[in-house]
Amino acid sequence: MLPFARFRVEDDSMKPYLEAGDYVLVNRWAYRFRPPKAGDVVVFSDPHMDGRYLVKRIARPSSPNRYDVSGDNAAQSRDSRKFGPIERERILGKVWLRFKP
Amino acid sequence: MSLLHSILRLWDRIAPAPVAYAHCDIPCGIYDPHHAQMAAHTVVRMIDLINQLEKPGPGATPEQRQEYMAKLSRYVLVKEQHAEIAKHEVRVLWGDYFKPDHLKTFPELHDLVWKALKAGSKARQEVNLQAAEDLLKTTNEIAQVYWKTKGLETVRVKAPYPTERETVYPKFK
Repeated sequence: MLPFARFRVEDDSMKPYLEAGDYVLVNRWAYRFRPPKAGDVVVFSDPHMDGRYLVKRIARPSSPNRYDVSGDNAAQSRDSRKFGPIERERILGKVWLRFKP
Repeated sequence: MSLLHSILRLWDRIAPAPVAYAHCDIPCGIYDPHHAQMAAHTVVRMIDLINQLEKPGPGATPEQRQEYMAKLSRYVLVKEQHAEIAKHEVRVLWGDYFKPDHLKTFPELHDLVWKALKAGSKARQEVNLQAAEDLLKTTNEIAQVYWKTKGLETVRVKAPYPTERETVYPKFK
């Protein structure tokens, strides 16, 4: 499995860091040797819809292996305030590079 | 960065990247089946227009052929777009608005959505009036379910559009 996965960003909850139409490269191996930390932007599978990925920033670890995530644009974000902390296994990887138009 | 973005966009055309949603289901709670219904009416209308379009005969001049092609292209383009809009709107209602509780009252909902999406695809693939009618019929039925979940009765009336097909409106008290 390649360490990098590419994603296209949709919607506005990570504005202005990420906007709809941006591309990101995600490092799937980022958390092999260290845990996610507050401030990391991660792609993870949506706890409310199978097969959909979300991109958010880690706010804080809520317990070992569980993390609160939030959108930078808090007024327009569905995140841990709504679905609670996410398990570490849900995290696909860390956003490593972003490409804006 | 911009060049790399262009390369990634090109790559997307060959092999689309999956989407990571910076999702803003605030949730705003603002949904309305009207968009889907209107888009379905548009698809019906485009198929009517395509069928009414006079085809150039063997003796047609290049200008007549060009005019025919130009009109046909426009109708087909709008048909494609609006069938996709209808599908998108139905998916939003289904995925974001409707909840398992609604399904208990309206067990036919999944089937309706499935039929609407299938009809929408068929309406894109073909110049098929029946598919467009099915798309409109199912979006109307979804609208009916939607308004019932809001505690509102609905009326079926002839739409005030050139399609003159039926459409479902909520009855506000």
